[in-house]
Amino acid sequence: MKHIHLLYTLLFGVAVLLFFGMAYPHHLHYQEQYQLFLFDSTYVWDIIRLPGGIADLLGRFCTQFFLFAWVGALIIALLLSAVQLLTLRLISVSGNGAGVRAVFHGLSFVPSFLLWLFLLDENALLGGVWAVLLTLLALWLFVKLPKGWVRRIVIIVTIPILYWMVGPNWNGSHYHRYPTVFPTLLYAAWLTAVALPLLLSIKRKVKSEKNLSKQSDRGRAASAVPASASTGRRQQILHFSLFTFTFIIMMMLVWKNANFKAEKVMQYDFMACHQQWNRILQTVNAEKPNNQIGVTVQNLALGMRGMLSERLFDYHQNGLLGLLPDVERDATSPMPTAEAFYQLGMIYVAQRTVFEAQESILDFQKSGRCYKRLAQTNLILGSYEVARKYLTALQKTLFYRDWANETLPLLGNEEAIAKHPEYGRLRQFVCSDDYYFSDHVTSDMLERLFLCNTENRLAFEYLKAYYMLTGDRENYAKLLLHLQKLKQ
Amino acid sequence: MRRILTFYIFLISLLFAACTETVSDAKQEAAQPQIYPDYVGVTIPVNIAPLNFSMADEQALCIDAVITDNHGNSLHSQGEAVDFDLDDWHTLLGQNRGDSLNITVSAKYDDGWHTYSPFSIYVSLDSIDYGICYRLIEPGYEVWSKMGIYERDLSTFDERPLIENTQFEGCVNCHSFNRGNPADMSLHIRGPHGATLLRQNGGPFTAYNTKTDQTLGLCVYPYWHPSGRYVAYSTNATSQLFHNAHPNRIEVFDTASDLQVYDVEKNELLLSPLLKQDSVFETFPVFSPDGRSLYFCAAMGHPLELKGSGNGLDSLHYSLCRIDFDPATGTFGNQVDTIVCASASSTWGDRKGASVSFPRPSYDGRFLCYTLSDYGQFSIWHHEADLWLLDLATGESRPMTEANSPDTESFHNWSTNSRWLVLSSRRDDGLYTRPYFCHVDTAGVVTKAFMLPQRNPRRFYRDRFFSFNVPDFIIAPTHFDGRQASRLINDESRKDFGVRQQ
Repeated sequence: MKHIHLLYTLLFGVAVLLFFGMAYPHHLHYQEQYQLFLFDSTYVWDIIRLPGGIADLLGRFCTQFFLFAWVGALIIALLLSAVQLLTLRLISVSGNGAGVRAVFHGLSFVPSFLLWLFLLDENALLGGVWAVLLTLLALWLFVKLPKGWVRRIVIIVTIPILYWMVGPNWNGSHYHRYPTVFPTLLYAAWLTAVALPLLLSIKRKVKSEKNLSKQSDRGRAASAVPASASTGRRQQILHFSLFTFTFIIMMMLVWKNANFKAEKVMQYDFMACHQQWNRILQTVNAEKPNNQIGVTVQNLALGMRGMLSERLFDYHQNGLLGLLPDVERDATSPMPTAEAFYQLGMIYVAQRTVFEAQESILDFQKSGRCYKRLAQTNLILGSYEVARKYLTALQKTLFYRDWANETLPLLGNEEAIAKHPEYGRLRQFVCSDDYYFSDHVTSDMLERLFLCNTENRLAFEYLKAYYMLTGDRENYAKLLLHLQKLKQ
Repeated sequence: MRRILTFYIFLISLLFAACTETVSDAKQEAAQPQIYPDYVGVTIPVNIAPLNFSMADEQALCIDAVITDNHGNSLHSQGEAVDFDLDDWHTLLGQNRGDSLNITVSAKYDDGWHTYSPFSIYVSLDSIDYGICYRLIEPGYEVWSKMGIYERDLSTFDERPLIENTQFEGCVNCHSFNRGNPADMSLHIRGPHGATLLRQNGGPFTAYNTKTDQTLGLCVYPYWHPSGRYVAYSTNATSQLFHNAHPNRIEVFDTASDLQVYDVEKNELLLSPLLKQDSVFETFPVFSPDGRSLYFCAAMGHPLELKGSGNGLDSLHYSLCRIDFDPATGTFGNQVDTIVCASASSTWGDRKGASVSFPRPSYDGRFLCYTLSDYGQFSIWHHEADLWLLDLATGESRPMTEANSPDTESFHNWSTNSRWLVLSSRRDDGLYTRPYFCHVDTAGVVTKAFMLPQRNPRRFYRDRFFSFNVPDFIIAPTHFDGRQASRLINDESRKDFGVRQQ
């Protein structure tokens, strides 16, 4: 029972793993797609040369594994467990009373839970967690060192190094676009992790001074009474009760603050990104989408399966905004629309939408998903040197490398592109009829797209759906007539 | 342990020895090498950083280059890219000012070494300024990500950020110096902390609010008067449209624009009715080298028509105009002269149309370089845009064919000795703007443009997802204190511009 605390840590870790793996996996996918990690010396140097760079780099390195949600969940579970264990370790070093340790054992989970709460925000970066962990490691190093000059010198030397490793993560500068955003939870986690052992240490000092005065009265022998078996059991019950209490309170907070609505949106986006059309239809059949992105993705999946106009009103609709929503200036919402533009053959528009989405990333990072799509659109449009630039960057990644290596030989190879099932088809659909596009798709645009290539079945489906949603019977009839003529 | 150590030393030796070998049994090629960047036959200033390069194709396993001069000196480099020693390079250039250098390139492929016909580079008698200053920004549409203003020492590869938008919320643009002298400097910040930072004679920066109730909007496109007392600005109501199917992805255009000159000493914007006409779009003001004229671009505008669908955008042609300016009194002349007329179709040959942007007079008063595109004023997104040179003595214009490319050439600036031009070009990949340099002699002879040197140009330009925006020469390091500037930006206090109507 000596290591009972490890069991509690394990329980906590499993809870984190299950939460992120089962309830929050698409938040991890979301993070991965907007945090491109490159195995490149210039990239690494650009990060670590800045204060806080080491924590940032470690965070970004770990985030690339979020492509696989369970791996991401495991990484988070390990990091949060490590934070808890280190906090507990520091408490153990600082405190000497068994009862006090029991109380603080329960509280040692507080920093990890706060970090868990922090990570519920899709824009909270893992670098923040690493910053707390590195700080705790440094503190642990300090207390492990023998008291005296050596410790003082190490502290003096380590503090600037520590600042360089984790520094600005404390002022929230990882939100470059909104530098005034204050990561309260991150601060709270750090403060509790540092303050708990400190409080206990102060308490111990005060207590030892009192003991000294008592010992002078009663003698040393009285204070050295060994703990009885019943005292041990009481300690275990206290441990368990405090752990359970902290765990329940914190889990309630986590559940209450989790954004499951966003998770659902991210799920639709994820499925559209991976072109899982059947899975999308299964999902909407099970539960109708309650958000605009869900409807957009649902309609795209219907279109890709050739059922959009036929079964349009069998599914929940949201007017034209659910078909092709106006392009917004953020990183998330335009991506499913961009997928629809891409599949429709509106390659220039898809390119612009994806480019802008990438530019909107809050911490000015790049996106593997966007790089991939930008390489594809440039390849389709024949801008091979620009496509090569994106592909060369993706060659320096862990999980996009193979795709980049497969795609590079296509550049400039017109015959291979023409034969390619996706690029060849989409190149045929690109309409040379130029007009200015702002943020809003009109029926005229879809009509031009369809008339440019009447083989473009998706454009036909979308145009028909457009007329159906706007109740434009006249143009709907004209379209059917036109199609009839084409068949003749 | 010793074995492991020996093994690692062997591995490291192999790494270094991977491309250090004698060029032997080389196949002689009659053609000159295809190198990246294309430095074949270029004219360079004596104080430029080493022109490192690699083979243009990526099949070469190794490249070897030997530079020889007419005095028996030589310089050698071999590797994935040639990387000449900085000091040796400058010594060699110093010894060959006004003379040619011959470069023999060999490249190793799977079938062995190939040695190409040597090519020359010419070391000009004219040196170039200390460095250039530019903005690095992704060539995007409307949303911006990370960007900043940077300075680069042209005799080395050192680059330093002046300010980046990670230091405040917003974007930064339009850095401007008085004839390359950073003692007089202007810089715009856009966004919630918008301001124009301005300093004179190396003094402290002041943050200004440049919008007044008598002008169209914020001041943009600054250009310093040679005296340092005035800064010419335009004020533009700018819009954007996006092509659905055209390589020129974006159209940036004004729906209204005017000109104004700021008197730094009196804190007054000087306005003239001739420069703020409702039916005319005036933009890109620049002072003549003597400070007695203001050149600018102007087009007859139809604001309401443009605001809608963008119809009529391709009929918007800007001409180069000029108005007198009296620096003693801060007053403008009574008439506007057209110097280069956009509708003079005989001048432009077989072009579809012509529109002048970014006029820049050389500081010796001999030439004026401008960008010519088919229409509009934001030529960076126009693949057909080229540089033209106006001889101010004869009034004749000609395309700078030697420096132009089939792709975009746009923004440009003169060195302070008026012999070098830094120009923005998208010739490399059609999207990302890179700085190039060409020499223009007193007779107007232009040389082939060469790309800004880098230690490993292919790696550098391929890895960098930024365009070099608004490159301008600087005669010395700017000594710009980014921290102090960001404090100034984040502080809400702004000094307002006063106004004086003519």
